[in-house]
Amino acid sequence: MIGLAHYLVVSAILFVLGVLGIFINRKNVIIILMAIELILLSVNINLVAFSSFLGDLVGQVFSMFVLTVAAGEAAIGLAILVIYFRARGTIAVDDVNRMKG
Amino acid sequence: MHSISIIVFGPLLAAIVAGLGNRALGNVPAKVLTTGLLFLSAALSWPIFIKFLGGHGEVEIVQVLHWITSGSLSIDWALRVDALTATMLVVITSVSALVHLYSWGYMDEDPDQPRFFAYLSLFTFAMLMLVTANNLLQMFFGWEGVGLASYLLIGFWFKKPSACAAAIKAFVVNRVGDLGFMMGIFGVYLVFDTISIPDILNAAPAMAGSTIGFLGYRWDTMTILCLLLFLGAMGKSAQLGLHTWLPDAMEGPTPVSALIHAATMVTAGVFMVCRLSPLFETSHVAMSVVTIVGAATCIFAATIGTVQNDIKRVIAYSTCSQLGYMFFAAGVGAYGAAMFHLLTHAFFKALLFLGAGSVIHAMHHEQDMRYYGGLRKQIPWTFWTMLAGTLAITGVGIPFTEIGFAGFFSKDAILESAYAAGGHGTGAFYVGVLAALLTSFYSWRLMFLTFWTKPRWAGSEHIQHAVHDAHGHDDHGHDAHHAHDDHHDHAHDDGTAGYHPHESPWTMRLPLVILSIGAVLGGFAFFHQFVSPEGGAHFWEASTLFFNEHLMHASHEVPTFVKLAPGGVMLLGLFLAWMAYIRHPNWPRRFVGQFYLLYDFLLHKWYIDELYDILFVRPAFWLGRLFWKGGDQGTIDRFGPNGLSWVVVQGGKITRRLQSGYLYSYALVMLIGLAAAATWAIMPK
Amino acid sequence: MIQVFAFYLFAAIVVASASMVILARNPVHSVLWLILAFFNAAGLMVLLSAEFIAMLLIIVYVGAVAVLFLFVVMMLDIDFAELRAGFVSYFPLGGTIALILLVELVLGVGAWNAGALNLSTRAAPTPEHVPNIEAIGQLLYTRYIFLFEMAGLILLVAMIGAIVLTHRARGGVRSQDISKQNRRRPQDATRNINQPSGQGVEL
Repeated sequence: MIGLAHYLVVSAILFVLGVLGIFINRKNVIIILMAIELILLSVNINLVAFSSFLGDLVGQVFSMFVLTVAAGEAAIGLAILVIYFRARGTIAVDDVNRMKG
Repeated sequence: MHSISIIVFGPLLAAIVAGLGNRALGNVPAKVLTTGLLFLSAALSWPIFIKFLGGHGEVEIVQVLHWITSGSLSIDWALRVDALTATMLVVITSVSALVHLYSWGYMDEDPDQPRFFAYLSLFTFAMLMLVTANNLLQMFFGWEGVGLASYLLIGFWFKKPSACAAAIKAFVVNRVGDLGFMMGIFGVYLVFDTISIPDILNAAPAMAGSTIGFLGYRWDTMTILCLLLFLGAMGKSAQLGLHTWLPDAMEGPTPVSALIHAATMVTAGVFMVCRLSPLFETSHVAMSVVTIVGAATCIFAATIGTVQNDIKRVIAYSTCSQLGYMFFAAGVGAYGAAMFHLLTHAFFKALLFLGAGSVIHAMHHEQDMRYYGGLRKQIPWTFWTMLAGTLAITGVGIPFTEIGFAGFFSKDAILESAYAAGGHGTGAFYVGVLAALLTSFYSWRLMFLTFWTKPRWAGSEHIQHAVHDAHGHDDHGHDAHHAHDDHHDHAHDDGTAGYHPHESPWTMRLPLVILSIGAVLGGFAFFHQFVSPEGGAHFWEASTLFFNEHLMHASHEVPTFVKLAPGGVMLLGLFLAWMAYIRHPNWPRRFVGQFYLLYDFLLHKWYIDELYDILFVRPAFWLGRLFWKGGDQGTIDRFGPNGLSWVVVQGGKITRRLQSGYLYSYALVMLIGLAAAATWAIMPK
Repeated sequence: MIQVFAFYLFAAIVVASASMVILARNPVHSVLWLILAFFNAAGLMVLLSAEFIAMLLIIVYVGAVAVLFLFVVMMLDIDFAELRAGFVSYFPLGGTIALILLVELVLGVGAWNAGALNLSTRAAPTPEHVPNIEAIGQLLYTRYIFLFEMAGLILLVAMIGAIVLTHRARGGVRSQDISKQNRRRPQDATRNINQPSGQGVEL
């Protein structure tokens, strides 16, 4: 009835939405971070779905680690954002090319 | 050790030591070494020559080193000594030794003396290799060697752009001739399968009348070979067409002009034709060409020489004209007369050049004759020796006797032989007589302008420099102004601007005296062996020169007017020069005013230089520029190293845009990468 | 039956709220939509009988991460007026590529379904009749203990990093140095001076 494919499609859609979210935000860095969280969420759903349908617990264990890393990454990302805001007074990174090579 | 080896290699040793030693060696050791070795060579050459004169000489071939063996080609370095060589030996070594000595005085203030003497000795060595060559390749080695030495010596004062240009011109024009010479050597090898001179000359008569294919046409073999070889002679001896380098070669120091462009290098062409005379004898066409070219050059150069104002250029054109005489003598078959004139010409032309150098030295490097005048009291030694040279070149002598200056014997021998030969020779005779008239005119013009009349050098820049320098030396302090005024008063009076020319040092006078002895007595001493039928046959027997006894007999039986013509035109030329420059000094100005087109034409050397410039020089430069800008820079560099670096830089510029610093660009790139990775992952294997 | 219905409900809301996350104007709204997305994802996982992960999702993601987001959004006093998605320039290209990605992912799914892909042997087969949390616990603390420790380290590093990045030493703070206070001797504490009057004291 509801097969693995359904879950995988949902996961794919979420993933693409996350990726799109990175793009269509011109001015708001926080939205980018949230979009990254969406991507990680989609990956989690994927892993858990596979784990469930294949009867392999590794997927769930791995999903836990993904969770960990996502949390850590969100923390650091927000810390950087805070500093950036302190320095620049805005979080619009649209026109900033400080990393220009 | 054969004396010939010392004669030939002594100058080489001197050149190497002086050349490599240069400043480390010092001026005096370089001068003494080179001059000493040259005098040694001269001292060793005269006995050889005298032995041949006495009829006791034998042809000798001294092997030095084996050079090439390739298939049937076997070439040695060998020194050939025969009568022809002996003649050239004394000419070369004597004149060279005297020029070396003369240069002690002339180049006294030059900072580069060791180099100069090294080049002079190098030249002498190359010339000696040329005349002692027993095969065509060694002769070509000497040929190229003298060309090199000429280039080095003409451009000796290389900081002067005109000297460098003249040196290049000489070398390049010579090169054209050398191409002909080389093709001639190749042709000779092709036809005779050897380039050893005795073997070629022995085999030549057999080849007469055969044909050979060249550039798509059939030619008479011997004609084409001789014409190609003669092309080389034309270049080296500045005959009409390849003569443009000789007047410009006067940029070199005067001793160089005396040695190379009067006595020796330019005579190499005549020597070559005489050396290979049996070859030329097999082709009437070639001989006619030689006659015509010689005669044309003779009159051509004489016409230009009459209007030149630079003392050295007059003598240079005189050389060119006299070479024309030698060639048309060879062309009609009077090789002995040609060599005789070569010998006498070497003496009196070197004398004239060295004398001119003495005048130039006295006049503080002023070379324009319009600024000379009245010098016979000031520099008497130079005057008397140049007078001897002029009497020699104009051929002053008593007809029907054997009393006269050198040129009298040799030039008359040529003209009589030309008349006697008939055919083209007759035309050459009349041309030669006309040229003799002009020769006499311009030679006496030179003498009158320089040594007679009143001093005219006040307007000369060189003299004014000399005077100012003298003032600087003499008057220090407050007397300067007074002295200056006095001198100025003087200057207005006598056209001297207070400058008094002084005679040259003994190192310059001695060669002049020795050469004038040769100019006076040379003809008388040697004509018997060179041109008289019996003596000549005996003398030239011990050589490769083809001596036409029959022609020499006939030349003694020519009509009276032929014998009197040269003397007659000589007197006429003297008379005209006297009238124009002593008696009625305004004649030249009136003549120029009346015939200004002719004057212009002659003054610009018949516009041949301009013609060559349009025909050859500009297209060559255009072609060179095309290859340089279009080919080398535009194509090879553009697509090679420059292109490569351009690609790298452009690539870097494009790649650099990836690092914009914009977050969203980076994110986009990441997305694209991700999509690509996903694509790759789901690709079926 | 109800599973199907639940699945479609959860799935629809997850997709919808994810879209709203990226399309909302107000960042606070975005965070709230994100929270909703997490909740529904947790629901999906419950459907997959991975209840531990689902709860973990809610506790960690919603409880910590999303709240953190909210803190930062509130703290950074953002001016809403200028923050509008001017996504016109990049959207076509990004949208195209995202679409391609989606298609590929779905294709991948299709290939899996068609049996073209096969897994090797299960690394950790799910034990029967054991609650999820117990099964995960048995696996995590035995076979994957190192990874577990490593995850802890990562979190430690993240924590230190966040503190180091945002810490700024404020000037003018006079904090106590206890050891310095304890080291003070009476003879260093006071000094006797005979000072003439009318002139200041050098301390």
